[in-house]
Amino acid sequence: MCVGVPMKVVEIDYPMAVAEAKGVKRQINLMLLPEDEVKVGDYVMVHVGNAIEVIDEKEAEEIWKVLDEVMAALEEREDF
Amino acid sequence: MKRERIKELVSLIHEISPKDRKIKIMNVCGSHEHTITYSGMRSLMPENIELIPGPGCPVCVCSESDVINAIRLSQRDDTILVTYGDMLRVPTKEGSIRSSGRNYKMVSAPHEVLKIAKENPEKNVVFFSIGFETTTAPTAALIEMGLPENVTILTSQKLTPEIMEVLVKDEEVGVDAFIAPGHVSAIVGANAWRIFPEEYGIPTVVAGFEPDNLLLAILRILYQLREGRAELENVYRGVVRPEGNVKAQELMYKYFEKADVNWRGIGLIPKSGLEFRKEYDNINAKKVFNLPEIKEEKVKGCICDKIVLGKAYPNECKLFGKVCTPSNPKGPCMVSMEGACNIWYRFGR
Repeated sequence: MCVGVPMKVVEIDYPMAVAEAKGVKRQINLMLLPEDEVKVGDYVMVHVGNAIEVIDEKEAEEIWKVLDEVMAALEEREDF
Repeated sequence: MKRERIKELVSLIHEISPKDRKIKIMNVCGSHEHTITYSGMRSLMPENIELIPGPGCPVCVCSESDVINAIRLSQRDDTILVTYGDMLRVPTKEGSIRSSGRNYKMVSAPHEVLKIAKENPEKNVVFFSIGFETTTAPTAALIEMGLPENVTILTSQKLTPEIMEVLVKDEEVGVDAFIAPGHVSAIVGANAWRIFPEEYGIPTVVAGFEPDNLLLAILRILYQLREGRAELENVYRGVVRPEGNVKAQELMYKYFEKADVNWRGIGLIPKSGLEFRKEYDNINAKKVFNLPEIKEEKVKGCICDKIVLGKAYPNECKLFGKVCTPSNPKGPCMVSMEGACNIWYRFGR
């Protein structure tokens, strides 16, 4: 629930937007960021479907690396 | 490259760590505990350094009364209870939302509530909003978008810096340093933790979730302890600003105000959560449905309260891994994937 996921903004109809990560598109809410602070192509940190901060691409990639490891670890342990 | 960096950080940690005493470093974030546990970070630490999980799991501390009220609401024919997936299996004396509830739906984002409300105009749609600042701000964003008439919100929101202050004053916990949660900090700002070094002399470092970032935070803490300093540092600058997300803070406090709230197993803590401001009684499910405060009943043998406060580790609980497992959780710390018991069960410590 509380896991933050970096996503790339691909479409904006403020306050709603479409963002993408790992080829998956999802509707997100940009209400927590001022309208002029986020544009198409930006990377954002998303929590429960809400962008909470704009981050740079390098940061997004670093965080995805960790998430990938976590997910791989989770897949190995399907007992929960 | 990364492996080299981790090796280097671990060797520096061993080199500069004060050897003459035990050092307790607490994290207050389920995702931090996750990284620490799955990466086996505890085994890389010098013997006298303890990495202890604190209250980092909002599902675990959500009051039983709020969960029971959610279950009861979902049992009404005219109502749909909407909440996050993690909440569905939280055990109470009246069962869980999944086992005892009737009309409930799961969402992964608050704005999905709007679609459910639109598709069910004849029903009361109650959004059970639980969590720390990272979920409270999105709930405020939902309200700001304008709620349909059939939507109300049942809140169970907690504040992170406030519970940390309770821990600092508790001698039984004896925290030497804090690793502050990265994403809560993105909302409240790194400066929200300033009080810990400045008023309590506790080194505090805001960290992200990569193993090397957490190791760097631990290293920064050890440097401070060695030199007798207590400062606020931020090693997650790419995401966390000193002032945080000001718009998110404004929206949160537009609709909510600080209130005394119940923490499961712990009790009422003054000004440790958020409740609706009086002018929003019309969307406050507690008022609209006149919900009672239900007395909590502890799960026999469960020490989740101690685990949440950093006074015990999951494997010190008699139920852990025996009768209490992720597929059959007895206590709240085993339910959520952010709960210390759940993480320890899945990844070992």
